Amino acid sequence: MPAPSPFDPASCLSQATRRHFFSRCAVGLGGIALASMFGDRKLLGATTPAGGGSPLVNPMAPHPGHFPARAKNVIYLFMAGGPSQLELFDYKPKLIELNGQPVPASLIEGKRFAFMDSSHGTKLLGTRRAFQQHGRSGAWVSDLFPHTAKIVDDITLVHSCAANLFNHAPAKLFMNTGSGQFGRPSMGSWVTYGLGSESQNLPGFVVLQSGPRGPRGGAVNWGSGFLPTSFQGVPLRGNGDPILNLATPAGVSAARQRQTIDAIRDLNLQRAVETGDAEIHTRIAAYEMASRMQSSAPELIDLKGESEATLKLYGIEKDTPSFARNCLLARRLVERGSRFVQLYHTNWDSHGGPGENLQSDFEKVCREVDQGQAALVQDLKARGLLKDTLVVWGGEFGRTPMGENRDTTGRNHHIDAFTMWFAGGGTKPGISIGETDELGFSPVADRAHVHDIHATIMHLLGLDHKKLTFRFQGRDFRLTDVHGELLTKLLA
Amino acid sequence: MLSWKHAVAGLALTGTLPAATPVDYLRDVKPVLAQHCYRCHGASQQKGGLRADTAAFLKEGGDAGSAFKAGKSEDSLLLRVILGTHDDIAQMPYKKPPLTEAAIAKIRAWIDQGAAAPANEEPEKDLHWAFVPPARGELPAVKQGGWAKNPIDHFILARLETEKIAPAPAADRVTLLRRASLDLTGLPPTPAEVGTFLADQAPDAYERAVDRLLASPHFGERWARPWLDVARYADSNGYSIDAPRQIWKYRDWVVAALNRDLPYDQFVIEQLAGDLLPGATTEQKVATGFNRNTQINQEGGIDPEQFRIEAVLDRVNTFGTAFLGLTLGCAQCHDHKFDPLTQKDYYSLYAFFNNTVEDGHGKSVPGGTLSFPGEKDGTANLPSLLEEARLAVERHINTHGGEAVAWMAGLSEQQRGKLRANALRSAVEIAWEKQDFRQRRAVFAAAKPDDAEFRALNTKLTTLERNEARLVTTLVMQELPQPRASTLFIKGDFTRPGAPVTPAAPAILPPITVEKPNRLDLARWLFDPAHPLTARVVVNRIWQQYFGRGIVETENDFGTQGIAPTHPALLDWLATELVAQHWSMKALHRAIVTSATYRQSSRARPDLEIIDPVNRLLARQSRLRLDAELVRDVALAGSGLLVPKLGGPPVYPPQPDGVMSLGQNRRSWTPSEGPDRYRRGLYTHFWRATPHPALAVFDAADSFSACTRRLRSNTPLQALTLLNDRQFFEFAGALADRIVREGGATAATRLDFGFKACVARPPTATESGRLIALLKQLQTPVDGASAASEREAWTIIARVLLNLDETITRE
Repeated sequence: MPAPSPFDPASCLSQATRRHFFSRCAVGLGGIALASMFGDRKLLGATTPAGGGSPLVNPMAPHPGHFPARAKNVIYLFMAGGPSQLELFDYKPKLIELNGQPVPASLIEGKRFAFMDSSHGTKLLGTRRAFQQHGRSGAWVSDLFPHTAKIVDDITLVHSCAANLFNHAPAKLFMNTGSGQFGRPSMGSWVTYGLGSESQNLPGFVVLQSGPRGPRGGAVNWGSGFLPTSFQGVPLRGNGDPILNLATPAGVSAARQRQTIDAIRDLNLQRAVETGDAEIHTRIAAYEMASRMQSSAPELIDLKGESEATLKLYGIEKDTPSFARNCLLARRLVERGSRFVQLYHTNWDSHGGPGENLQSDFEKVCREVDQGQAALVQDLKARGLLKDTLVVWGGEFGRTPMGENRDTTGRNHHIDAFTMWFAGGGTKPGISIGETDELGFSPVADRAHVHDIHATIMHLLGLDHKKLTFRFQGRDFRLTDVHGELLTKLLA
Repeated sequence: MLSWKHAVAGLALTGTLPAATPVDYLRDVKPVLAQHCYRCHGASQQKGGLRADTAAFLKEGGDAGSAFKAGKSEDSLLLRVILGTHDDIAQMPYKKPPLTEAAIAKIRAWIDQGAAAPANEEPEKDLHWAFVPPARGELPAVKQGGWAKNPIDHFILARLETEKIAPAPAADRVTLLRRASLDLTGLPPTPAEVGTFLADQAPDAYERAVDRLLASPHFGERWARPWLDVARYADSNGYSIDAPRQIWKYRDWVVAALNRDLPYDQFVIEQLAGDLLPGATTEQKVATGFNRNTQINQEGGIDPEQFRIEAVLDRVNTFGTAFLGLTLGCAQCHDHKFDPLTQKDYYSLYAFFNNTVEDGHGKSVPGGTLSFPGEKDGTANLPSLLEEARLAVERHINTHGGEAVAWMAGLSEQQRGKLRANALRSAVEIAWEKQDFRQRRAVFAAAKPDDAEFRALNTKLTTLERNEARLVTTLVMQELPQPRASTLFIKGDFTRPGAPVTPAAPAILPPITVEKPNRLDLARWLFDPAHPLTARVVVNRIWQQYFGRGIVETENDFGTQGIAPTHPALLDWLATELVAQHWSMKALHRAIVTSATYRQSSRARPDLEIIDPVNRLLARQSRLRLDAELVRDVALAGSGLLVPKLGGPPVYPPQPDGVMSLGQNRRSWTPSEGPDRYRRGLYTHFWRATPHPALAVFDAADSFSACTRRLRSNTPLQALTLLNDRQFFEFAGALADRIVREGGATAATRLDFGFKACVARPPTATESGRLIALLKQLQTPVDGASAASEREAWTIIARVLLNLDETITRE
């Protein structure tokens, strides 16, 4: 017998029913009558949507995974554009030595690269960055990441990451959804579909952005694909309303809003009695959650309660939106029970053209993330949150060992080997996994393909990537498609 | 659920029959195998190389060897897999509840008793039901014949009578009219329409109301939407750049075709191959936009051929989903695992679509775009914006005209000659009073080059004028003079071409008999009388819109892994009826909507909560939350703001700031002013990367691939949208004004008016009591809010009404 889906309708419904409906909502008209009218069976039946999929009464209620989890939450720092591992983590003296030499033909034969039509360079490019070993683990980190260098004993570097697609938008989709095709659910959607969220006041899957522009592909990166929209990522915005339509319309006070929602609730309850449709209870619960979000989201982004020392640790200046501020918000979100928090920071696309050179532009983007990401790991650790929180760092791919000649020499997209790092949540700290060859072109050991990374993240969360499925267009889909092997060396 | 879990628990102990009980293969065993095994181990397919439709086949076995050893059930593969004790093979039936202990006991006993079976046992000849053309049988006999309004009801009632369930009573008349209005036009009935209907006591009052709705131009708008979901229609190119595209002419073609009840065969043939019809009209070419709704990747550095092929693959997959109800996409990389579809079948279809002119990078290619030189694009309210901007420039010029006059007067002959633009040179020769607007504008610009205010106004006008000049175009299919050579792609990878393929129909379906068939032949083949799928697939999707679930619940998978129809004979009756009615979709709509089945009340029935909790038997109607566009339309209609204009370029109703910056390329969203601010949701400009949030939050299709059914989620973000979105607040304000203006003088009459505007019915005493209590609260200062003014108070009441679950639900 296959294990029952973690998304067990019965338990989800009964929880949702009790917590949201009877304890919170049944204060209006007809509450008592309803309590006797609706048994769980009834709710179960009436709310299973067409297609026999998931029930709709509070799908975000937390539920257990397939086996005990090592990590409860994920903070995914997505470096949009593809950071150069060769300038940051993957130290290749041989490449420096061979700087300017043509790349061995055997390496690039049969390979496809982005911008194949343009005359990008085929000469090896050694890094000009100074590398040093750090911490007890002796991990190599370049001088561009001085803060990150301090946390190497708390993180696991994986140098052998590999992907399939070499254009930004499909590659980002691939990293987020396991497919380059649009319309598949993102990792955060799968995770919240599988586990729900501990927070009943804030969204379970939250997306924050920083950098000069949004990530390529936009909202599909955190879309729920064919899963219900309940599971799509909710952007928490740096300006204006933190969540779309969070603010009560101008001229309506909080008290009036409460009176409005109370009246909607009571009339909806009345209709629920009249029609017997349990779906109305879901809607009532949704309005209550919306109302709670109206107060909890502003509280979330208000950093007044954070100490001077904390703000300094992250390097946060006042209220300006920044990656560092988003890192702190990510900590606050997981503290409040959000399951999956994803931060995007652009722009790492260092081809060498204007605004994307490997010199000052690259230094700038490194500076923008370095202190915040290191502070996040340190802060989570100091608060005892790191053991339950998996931090993931990486882009959609890395950069080529060859230089690319534009205004300056940059690097092209590279999918065969790039570096990601992980911290907390049951990963094994202070090690490096997956050596690459002496030019940094391909892994020579422990290749960590995107599907394997997905399988491992799911595993840490207590989910079996082969069992978390959703039937769509006649097929049981999963995040890892038909692939995915556990990266056992990554596990503590 | 519970029953089979118990059955599993009991297996270890039981599942045996007294050895003496004689088992007959034909009576006891074969029916079990037929019900549970033949789908994967029968005539249509042989998973694991095994057929189970004769005892001889079982003995012969499959990849894992013989299925049984006569006399030794414990050593028999068959028994071990149905018990789930085999080490390598999953418990059978695969991913289905295990067999009952009684069934297992019979199979065990049959094997132990020697596995006797008739020597002349015939193998199953039946194909999977969906590959056999629909047959029109007799109408089933029913006892309560008086209930039935038309043949549909016989099928539904016959099944209910078998299950000893009585159908639900008919919905009350107001609910029924609102239901039919929303289902047929996407708009709620006006209070006047409700009044007329209630006053009409003729026995055919409802049928006449249905006919009125079917004739409404809004019918096409309502039913275009699910079709556009299938067609993956959007107003942008998708992928990361997501540049805008013009293809709204195709959307308008769909609306118009549905309104004039273009027969479904023509409807489809024109969309798939209108360009190849003899003497193809412009309209028929516009229709081929169906297959130009593919995404275009304009990202730098791509391999254009890869994305040209992606678009062709999308056309094949869409063809499979939209017309065949098959998951063809599975065969892109390998032979279909469950259905009799090979990779060769897939690429034989691919070959039909691989011959059009467009490239993979969205560069304009001759023939791929159709222009409409007589028409101008821009937002539909461009004329009024232009007029406004022109007036603003004119006012400014006239106010400060004296300075221009002085400048002209001061010009020397030499200076006049040096003026650059011809228009300006000739204008200065004319007296200011006699100059027209164009001349004055040129003169003023030259006279006052540093006038910042003028420059701003003038730039705005120039921009609008430039928009006005943009040609209206639409994307169409155009065949290459020479077809491309098509091949299979190994593992679906376009860099690994395999064996060459030529255009052909999938082998399991009727052949295309034309020599060297093209796209037009493929389109016509769908309407071959022997075609088993086309009619079934479309009637099922239409049925699904009315009942929330298709007769085949897996509306996009009629294959062996799909769910079998709940009412197979009804599905076939509807399919054959569609053909008999010359593919008239309106006739089908009318038959469904006037059936007694459709007219039932949607109230939940406690007596069915165990036996039919999700309403598969249709012993009642279902409450269905409205689609995203209709959530908007209902609020627009209720508030009286709706501008019911049909068609035209997409419009830009307000959305929260910052939405467009989520994509890679920040695009502007200048909210439409004037009438375009209040158009139906169908016309909202749909950016694939950044869809309008009020649509996305209510599960609008994403337009990336064919969508045959939308999910219906129910989330806090929906609540925030209806409560706080500035345009919904604007609707509430308008509804409040309307209530105060038209709703009489007392709270009671106003509430009555407001309720009718939103849900078509008057409030109950409890409901109006609750809202009168709210009005009292609003008149009392609370926590910093002073007593609400009349408008404020009624705006809040209007917000309550627009937020009701009932308002956004078809009951």
